[in-house]
Amino acid sequence: MTRPVYIAKTALLCARGNSPAAVASALWNGECSAGQRKLGERAFPYFGLPLDEHDWMVRTEQAIRQVAGQLGKLPPETPLFVASSSFQIGHFEQLGAPFELPFAAASFSRQIGDWLGLSGARTSFSNACTSGFSALDAARSLIAAGLIDDAIVLGVELANDSTLAGFAAMELLSRTAGRPFDARRDGLVLGEAVAAVHLSAKPATWRIAGLRTGLDGFSTTGPNPDGSRIADVTVDCLKEAILKAADIELIKLQAAGSPGTDLAEANALRSVFGQHMPLLLSLKPGLGHTLGASGLAELAVLLACLDADKIPATAGFSKVDPEIALFPMVERSTEHIERALLNLIGFGGGLASLIVERHG
Amino acid sequence: MINLAAVLSQSFAPAELPAAVRAVLGKPLRRAAPLTQLALVGALACLPAERRALPTALLWQSTSGPRLETLTLLDEVCAGSAEPMPYDFLATQPAIAAAQIQSFLPGLQTAMHLPLDREGVANWSLLLSLAIVWLNEGRCAQVLCAQLDHAIDVASGHWLALSRAPLENSPASLQLAKGAASESLPDTPDLPARLAKWLAGNGSPTLSLHSPVAMKLTVEFTRL
Repeated sequence: MTRPVYIAKTALLCARGNSPAAVASALWNGECSAGQRKLGERAFPYFGLPLDEHDWMVRTEQAIRQVAGQLGKLPPETPLFVASSSFQIGHFEQLGAPFELPFAAASFSRQIGDWLGLSGARTSFSNACTSGFSALDAARSLIAAGLIDDAIVLGVELANDSTLAGFAAMELLSRTAGRPFDARRDGLVLGEAVAAVHLSAKPATWRIAGLRTGLDGFSTTGPNPDGSRIADVTVDCLKEAILKAADIELIKLQAAGSPGTDLAEANALRSVFGQHMPLLLSLKPGLGHTLGASGLAELAVLLACLDADKIPATAGFSKVDPEIALFPMVERSTEHIERALLNLIGFGGGLASLIVERHG
Repeated sequence: MINLAAVLSQSFAPAELPAAVRAVLGKPLRRAAPLTQLALVGALACLPAERRALPTALLWQSTSGPRLETLTLLDEVCAGSAEPMPYDFLATQPAIAAAQIQSFLPGLQTAMHLPLDREGVANWSLLLSLAIVWLNEGRCAQVLCAQLDHAIDVASGHWLALSRAPLENSPASLQLAKGAASESLPDTPDLPARLAKWLAGNGSPTLSLHSPVAMKLTVEFTRL
């Protein structure tokens, strides 16, 4: 049994606002300012949630409950798929030593389920930046096979020093701003998000036409610069969707302003799309890179943009890198999009491509 | 029909893991966290050399995850004055395990890591259900499903390898079933060890795995 899987609803809390529509509107209006997060003597731009609470756990409960409110009432037995790269590590940082980590790595997902009012099956995913699409892939595989009818897929990435310090130690962070595909790009800007996608077998406006994950073991921190593995995943995704490259009208890029990963993504896109490059959009200059939540957060924002036929410009891009020679949209567009591709290229070798298509 | 290709349980004293890796590769695996080393020795033990280039997915769960490495990182970040050593941060990222073993399993196309939220309860039923769905779709030729854990005193790996193609010596087939067979196993981390016992015995021809926490998924094993 294989049946179509639809996106029934999305929900989002991130630096730009507290619903997918509000975030889409803010991006349309060109909002892209970031706050700052200090790490010892160094400070980094950072896209934090608009919440004043300082207690990590209380703040997280507020964030999850806001997203739960957007989802509306759900049958408590709805299966929950949680994606995160850091879970509640920020809570333990705040409590300080001795660090009493629970023995079960994803024990925090039980608390998340309680806050969402979901007491059914619960599964957690931690695949760095591609966690969200891994969770989405598992949930939609089970729905497509007729094993479940609905699922809530939730991405959670909240402030902590461990991730910031780890990325800083590897010199992956920009000290100024994320500049996707730009000649002056010098690293990522991190951010927080809680994002949810309600998948269902019941028809809705958007259908998942294809979703494929992949792996690039070139290095632990970035893909092969030639982009070949990324291209393979995109081609597989197009095959699953029974679409040609020319059918894709818009690509939500991974591009976060990372020197190596942006180049690899550009090379992959050139090999798949050739001279017929669709519109290119990066959302990370306005949201930050929200790691394990990024796939779901950017999916929620993108669908809200497409529902309104208002595609924002990509902030942070102004100077073409001759090696990349691709141009994200620098002007807003009201083009009506039927099919879009979303790319994720993760720290740790994870890759994912998702194609969404309007239904009916 | 999906075929069971390998059933494997391994256990090491943590200090013995690097030697186990050297025994398999003939050289050490540099800068590899214990979970990566467990993944490597288990995956290579499950797949003979002639099957390592076939399109493969790895679905692995863990109760402990990189808990010890996370404690080290927290000590460095919260108590230290400097940024952590890059390797200490990388060691807390379980997704890296698949990337680090890909060069030894060239067919490894994708991997998912599923951390567990309770001790003593696993999610084999979900891993095997996903594997069966993906193999039936033709997404890959084989799927490795694993439970990998490491603590101060022991590092353990439990593995089931599934193949789409019929195999000469496959001990059992798998399918998704609606009802539970007469004999069933609980969904616990050591499922492969329990399954191996059933395969070695002369009990019922079928065995089911039904997870109380994993939806309406029942996986049925049938002896071949």
